[in-house]
Amino acid sequence: MAMLKVENLESGYGSMQVLWQPSLEVEKGSITSLLGPNGVGKSTLLLTVLGVVAPSGGKITYEDLDVTRMPSHDKVDLGLTLVPEGKHLFPSMTVHENLLMGAYRKEARRHREESLELVHALFPILKEREKQVAGSLSGGQQQMVTIARALMTKPKMIMMDEPSQGLAPKLVGEVFETIEKLKEEVGLTILLVEQNAAASLDAADYVYIMHEGRIKAEGKPEEIKGSSEIREAYLGV
Amino acid sequence: MFAEQLAGNLIQGLVLGSIYGMATMGLSMIFGVLQVVNVGHGAFIMIGAFTTMTVFTKLGLNPIFAIPFALVIGMALGFLFYYVVMQRLIKAPELASLLATFSIGIILEETVKLTFGSEFRGFNWETGKLDLGVTVLPYSKLIAAGGSALVALLLYLWYHKTRSGTAVRSVIEDSEGARVCGINVNWAYALSFALGIGLTVTSGVFLTMFIPVGINPYMGGGYTVKAFVIAVLGGLASPYGAFFGGLIFGLMENGSYTILATIKGVEPFALTRFFSFVTLLVILLIRPTGLFKSQ
Repeated sequence: MAMLKVENLESGYGSMQVLWQPSLEVEKGSITSLLGPNGVGKSTLLLTVLGVVAPSGGKITYEDLDVTRMPSHDKVDLGLTLVPEGKHLFPSMTVHENLLMGAYRKEARRHREESLELVHALFPILKEREKQVAGSLSGGQQQMVTIARALMTKPKMIMMDEPSQGLAPKLVGEVFETIEKLKEEVGLTILLVEQNAAASLDAADYVYIMHEGRIKAEGKPEEIKGSSEIREAYLGV
Repeated sequence: MFAEQLAGNLIQGLVLGSIYGMATMGLSMIFGVLQVVNVGHGAFIMIGAFTTMTVFTKLGLNPIFAIPFALVIGMALGFLFYYVVMQRLIKAPELASLLATFSIGIILEETVKLTFGSEFRGFNWETGKLDLGVTVLPYSKLIAAGGSALVALLLYLWYHKTRSGTAVRSVIEDSEGARVCGINVNWAYALSFALGIGLTVTSGVFLTMFIPVGINPYMGGGYTVKAFVIAVLGGLASPYGAFFGGLIFGLMENGSYTILATIKGVEPFALTRFFSFVTLLVILLIRPTGLFKSQ
């Protein structure tokens, strides 16, 4: 069953159209990866799905509900959220306060304690650093807080925008391990946008290739890996 | 003799400074959350002054009763102007919101002029006086200053202890981060704008308690300018920083007045403004983020 369905989506900023009717589906309980070079509209697609950028055409269906024009805070209530590119933490709040912000909505607040337990089990260092101001953490730890804060919203599906960006190679491996854990152990559905094509292909159940605001290819990771044409044209691997 | 005079003027400065601080918090709040400079700031203070005068002279009530009226009128105007005008301009270039708030200020001034006329008005509120030896403070001024300090404290508590205040704080820190947490950012903007305007109109009540004369539609301009100086002193985006900025400004204004008055041939009142703006420039040059650590 498709948890999220995007059909012929159009959006952009002012008069600049970025998305030219891409369509994709994210199966429940899967990691679906959206690959492509910089500036092809992957982030815009995620922001439009969440409702931060308004769509000018097309349709977004989440759990069989038409959510095309739904504001982002209502989508968070339905269990859909985003780990934004560039972290977007609350730098002068402590780690703990950042996590509590994730549980801001009523439904999330009711599950706050169990969400905190889950997050601390996944990232024990965040329990230790609880009282530290988020802006003073290392890049890798900040990324953990960003993922943890998204988990505090009690999501069913998380969209992740470049979660391994700017991290040391060892930490990149850890981020991908976490993503697989979220699918296997927490049962989340994940739509992953990454520049790190090799790691993404390893983690994903299904892959879409995006270029110039359009979906150019799709398939199981083996199929994408097997097609030298796709690899050379869009991924450079 | 001079020491006594200085002490007395500094006490007066502290009292006035508390009100100056109050009259700047709304400006700082709106700038902090929406990154919009409200150039029409003073016009909202003027609305508060007219509210106070109407409550006192037309309704025959104690000016304290003007506070709830001012807060409600201010917040209603704030929501109205946010949803009709500001909402569309937040992402536009800064000049658009500057011109919009400038226009709103003029519209308010002219509307009040059409309704009340443009002559200077005033009233006399007898409250008795507190004699401190070095200076005498009418209770009306003490109420205004104490009320201002109380509002600053309440605002601090709202920011840090309530759900809506925390949401607004998260929007100040990172609006996209707030959005992915499910915070209705547009509502946070609307609420902050309305509260900012509500605080500003209410500060007009306190200012009028302090100086119950000179009320006319164009009285706000001078306060706009002072509020800019105080906001910079306090760190621009921090409302309670603005409150302390107001205290410093009040002390500076009255302190420099006392000192300048001892120089023969000098008109001290004109020079206090000169000094205020020299101070502003110096602070902008050495600590452009304000004297206080911004939140």
